[in-house]
Amino acid sequence: MNPVSAQIESRRRRYGNFLRRALFAAALGASTTSANAACPPAAADGTTITRGDVVLAWRVLLPDGALKSGRIPMARHFSLDVQLCDRGGVSGAQLAKADADMPAHKHGMNYRPTIKPLGNGRFRVDGMMFHMAGEWQLAFEVQAGKEITRLTHGVQAD
Amino acid sequence: MAFRRTEHHRGRRVLATLLFLLAPAAAAEPDRFSASELERIASHGPWPTAWMRDPGNRVSANPAAVHLGYRLFFEPRLSANGRVACATCHDPARGFQDGRATARGLTDGVRNTPGLFDVRQQRWFGWDGGHDNLWSASLRPILDQGEMGGSAGRTAHVLRGSAALACHYRQAFGKAPTAGDSDLLVNVAKAIASWQETLLSPPAPFDHFRDALERKDVAAAAAYPAAARRGLKIFLGRGQCATCHAGPNFTNGEFGDIGVPFFIKPAGVDPGRQGGIKRLLANPWNLLGAYNDDATGGNTTGTKFVRPEHRNFGEFKVPTLRNLTLTAPYMHNGSLATLRDVVRHYSDLDEDRLHADGERILRPLNLSEAENADLVAFLESLSPATPLPPPVVPAPVPACRAP
Repeated sequence: MNPVSAQIESRRRRYGNFLRRALFAAALGASTTSANAACPPAAADGTTITRGDVVLAWRVLLPDGALKSGRIPMARHFSLDVQLCDRGGVSGAQLAKADADMPAHKHGMNYRPTIKPLGNGRFRVDGMMFHMAGEWQLAFEVQAGKEITRLTHGVQAD
Repeated sequence: MAFRRTEHHRGRRVLATLLFLLAPAAAAEPDRFSASELERIASHGPWPTAWMRDPGNRVSANPAAVHLGYRLFFEPRLSANGRVACATCHDPARGFQDGRATARGLTDGVRNTPGLFDVRQQRWFGWDGGHDNLWSASLRPILDQGEMGGSAGRTAHVLRGSAALACHYRQAFGKAPTAGDSDLLVNVAKAIASWQETLLSPPAPFDHFRDALERKDVAAAAAYPAAARRGLKIFLGRGQCATCHAGPNFTNGEFGDIGVPFFIKPAGVDPGRQGGIKRLLANPWNLLGAYNDDATGGNTTGTKFVRPEHRNFGEFKVPTLRNLTLTAPYMHNGSLATLRDVVRHYSDLDEDRLHADGERILRPLNLSEAENADLVAFLESLSPATPLPPPVVPAPVPACRAP
């Protein structure tokens, strides 16, 4: 197989995988999964959220190790490891914004996180903290050219 | 046979008590706890938590610095009139508070003096969080013209005038206290901080109850008063108090507007956290500055990422709920004299006082008098059951002991 054919085959396989995952997610009646399965190998192993063609996988990084029980500990700083993908695999889009708020409380975080691009669609978000227990909503903005896609995901802090 | 019957009855009694404490029908009973509540009760301990030295203070846990800090904490000659020490407002006999609504140093202040027990656990210092480290927070009152009105020169003079103090300074910092030393005041503040870090409150009745539940020690858990158990249930549930007063120290370490007036007599307002962030970022002794001893910068996250918001105006620090019986009166302005007043504040909360863009879950709790009393009983159970002994005097280091 020549290189061009291999590339086409690779893209077809990835797109096929993407469709299979999308169908599986639809079958579950949800667009989020707890396992990171949407991105290419070695992507973040946290939670995957999708909107349109945008696939965003994120996981929590704590200074002292792994997340326990899947819940984010309140009043502790943490970082996010984010991987962006699209139908073609690793996305060339930028993570333009990462933030969080408490919809029921009508306020956000006390800290303004920063985003550091790490290459290959991967980003590190520093300075996060959920200072109160309860339901928070992570909010991401992914920019591809002039197009901005907003993705949100509810998480629990306690 | 009689022995067996006694054991059998004791077993049934234990089982009955266990079911009483852990019953699944918790919601219907005022002092029974669901599995979820038990999990949340467990999150308020264990107590004490593991002590860690302050990486931003190179003399944290240094015995010479701890002794020096202890001596300077009680030293009135650091003040302009020679009569005001740190201990003037932070009285050891009152949980390191002064019992006054607002502090009085050289002049009258506008905020309530915070207690100092377990101060090592804090992220922000002062009601407005204007400091991100304990030594910086300890330096401010020494220089503040309304509190102690001191100076580097005065401090150096006090240190040089005492062979024991000068010796401990040298032992801690490796140099003599000279008047022209720009680091002197920061070093003194770091020594005072290192002593304050040793102020730890002992387990309270709540902690014994929490630990007994963890051990499933029914007999020990049953010793916790029923009123406190009912109050705890309100604290965790209807009161939503644990949303902010979380963890072993019963605080998230952050800030909130709970409708306590921020007007200052005779005129003016206390901007609270909004002013605190401004002071923090302008402070040369914050953790982003040259005096932070943590070479990794791992302790700078809060200061680096703090986000000023309009809602910060009138927000004040969420205080710990430990040792409250020692530290009346309450709130940032000392406006509430008793714990009953504090509970009434939340029960009858005046929503008109809350920020339009502030916290949306604050609502009047509308507690009955009996429920108020139960919540007070719970809060009281977070304080030591018996009077605390005076703080342990740190010993002088051998190199500085008089021959």
